[in-house]
Amino acid sequence: MAKSLGVPLIVTRELRKVFRSAKRSPGPLGALRGLFAPVYEDRVAVAGVSMEIERGELVGYIGPNGAGKSTTIKMLTGILVPSGGEIAVAGIVPHRKRRENARNIGVVFGQRTQLSWDLPLVDSFELLRAIYGIPADRYRRSLDDFVELLEMGDFLRTPVSQLSLGQRMRGDFAAAMLHEPPILYLDEPTIGLDVVAKEAIRTFVERVNREQGTTVILTTHDLADVERLCRRIVLIDRGRIIFDGPIERIKNEYGRERTLVVRFTEPTSAPAIPGARLEASDGITARFVFDRASQRADRLVREVSERYSVEDIAIEEPELEGIIRHIYTQGYAGEERSA
Amino acid sequence: MLAAYLQYWKINLLTMAEYRADFFMWLGFTIVYHGTALAALAVTMMRFPSMNGWSLREMFFLYALWMAAHELHNALFYNVMYVPEYIREGRFDRFFVRPFDTLFQVLTVPSRTFPDGFILGVVTLAIATGVAHVHLSLQTVLVIAAVVCGGAGIDLGISLFVASLSFWTIRVDTLRWAVMSLEQDFTRYPISIYTRAVRVVLAYILPFAFMNYFPASYLLGKHDAAFGLSPQVGLLTPLIGLLWSGCSYLFWRIGINRYQGTGS
Repeated sequence: MAKSLGVPLIVTRELRKVFRSAKRSPGPLGALRGLFAPVYEDRVAVAGVSMEIERGELVGYIGPNGAGKSTTIKMLTGILVPSGGEIAVAGIVPHRKRRENARNIGVVFGQRTQLSWDLPLVDSFELLRAIYGIPADRYRRSLDDFVELLEMGDFLRTPVSQLSLGQRMRGDFAAAMLHEPPILYLDEPTIGLDVVAKEAIRTFVERVNREQGTTVILTTHDLADVERLCRRIVLIDRGRIIFDGPIERIKNEYGRERTLVVRFTEPTSAPAIPGARLEASDGITARFVFDRASQRADRLVREVSERYSVEDIAIEEPELEGIIRHIYTQGYAGEERSA
Repeated sequence: MLAAYLQYWKINLLTMAEYRADFFMWLGFTIVYHGTALAALAVTMMRFPSMNGWSLREMFFLYALWMAAHELHNALFYNVMYVPEYIREGRFDRFFVRPFDTLFQVLTVPSRTFPDGFILGVVTLAIATGVAHVHLSLQTVLVIAAVVCGGAGIDLGISLFVASLSFWTIRVDTLRWAVMSLEQDFTRYPISIYTRAVRVVLAYILPFAFMNYFPASYLLGKHDAAFGLSPQVGLLTPLIGLLWSGCSYLFWRIGINRYQGTGS
């Protein structure tokens, strides 16, 4: 499995997936026509994705619903056969050597558990131990480690059907990592979880990445996951990659606007500062938006304190969430700008 | 793979011990189910001392042969039933991310399948063998064992075929129930009592007749009046079981390929 150095762990080139479905013509004659002369409708889910992921990376693969995230993950895991392009995971074409590929990967689908519903958590783990032929001592060690790290001690013997979502997800993470795969795919792993469970899982992912060098591909809607864990993000929209790079870059390019929040000591109507745009005001608190590149924060702070009687001032940095939302609605222009 | 299979059974049996009430409920259900069928048979036979030359004792053996095979199928392959559900609910994906054959993984999903029915079937078959005065020798015991395995193979082949259809997003529930009731209704009596069309279906299309009618005819030394075939056809059961399950497995593979193309 140890391929020659220098080859990225995961490579896709012009990866495509087109779903073909029979289109139903209206009316009773339409059904008949569909039987003899079916009309097909093609839906392009992934339209030429090329990326390279190095060993040990922790990549956020994000995009709106229907952008092609899950379809890409399904091709990487060997569930789906691509319609075109190339794909290699640790030197293996996943759908051709599905079983071999399966030994290299761990998968967590946030929406669907892979644990056995009726069984205590530990029985599912035992089954996985037998499936992967994990040596007894290594299994013991990993299990003890995971139980401690994910705080599963209290519910290890509880049937999965009686676990809370957060407990179940922790079980799913342990189940995905028990055979110590070099690659971990996470598809919406924190969906619907409370803060505590989210934190436990993020810490877990961080640790397996750091200590075992596990390469992690994370698909999520919760950008706080990405912000916390990933250095690199790949943004996909309508089946195409629209951004691939470090989070800082996307922040620099899009997060140019900062917000100055000012609290006045007395009600102030229509406050104004040159160089900043008033975004909102309720008389006591006002929010000014300004361009980081052209305006200096300290000048604005001075300006506002000279003009008004100010009680408190804060500067808000742009959040990834807002940036991404902006890109989806406005489109990404970074390619042209950086080219 | 063997280690995984053994672990699966270990867990199954442990679960059986844990859910004892559940287990006894199922055992009770199985007893009532087969008991009712046998009672109905007895009631029918009070009116007719023999049916196309088959006595009640012999029909008890006929039923027990089917029961053992069918229950063996239930013990080993019952999970095939859940495949349409897995596909419909999007839970099928997970079988691709583990390093085993997809069907093997379906069969080893722990789902409270207990071998109680099979044990009951073997006991019933042993009793019926005595009641029907089947000549006992090492050879007949081996034949009976092979026929039971072959019969389970026929059952598996047919249920696997029906389940595989759901890869083409076909709703198979109705078909599954139709096939199941066909099996349950028409294996109880010697098929020689049915019309030609039914006999052809049961012998050549959905070969349930090979689960019990043909092998029972052979073991009881009965001449088959329905088809005019040599009694030795009853020995073909293992071969037909192998053929049906083998072909259905190929069909399953085609379905898997389709699933990997469409993802649904």
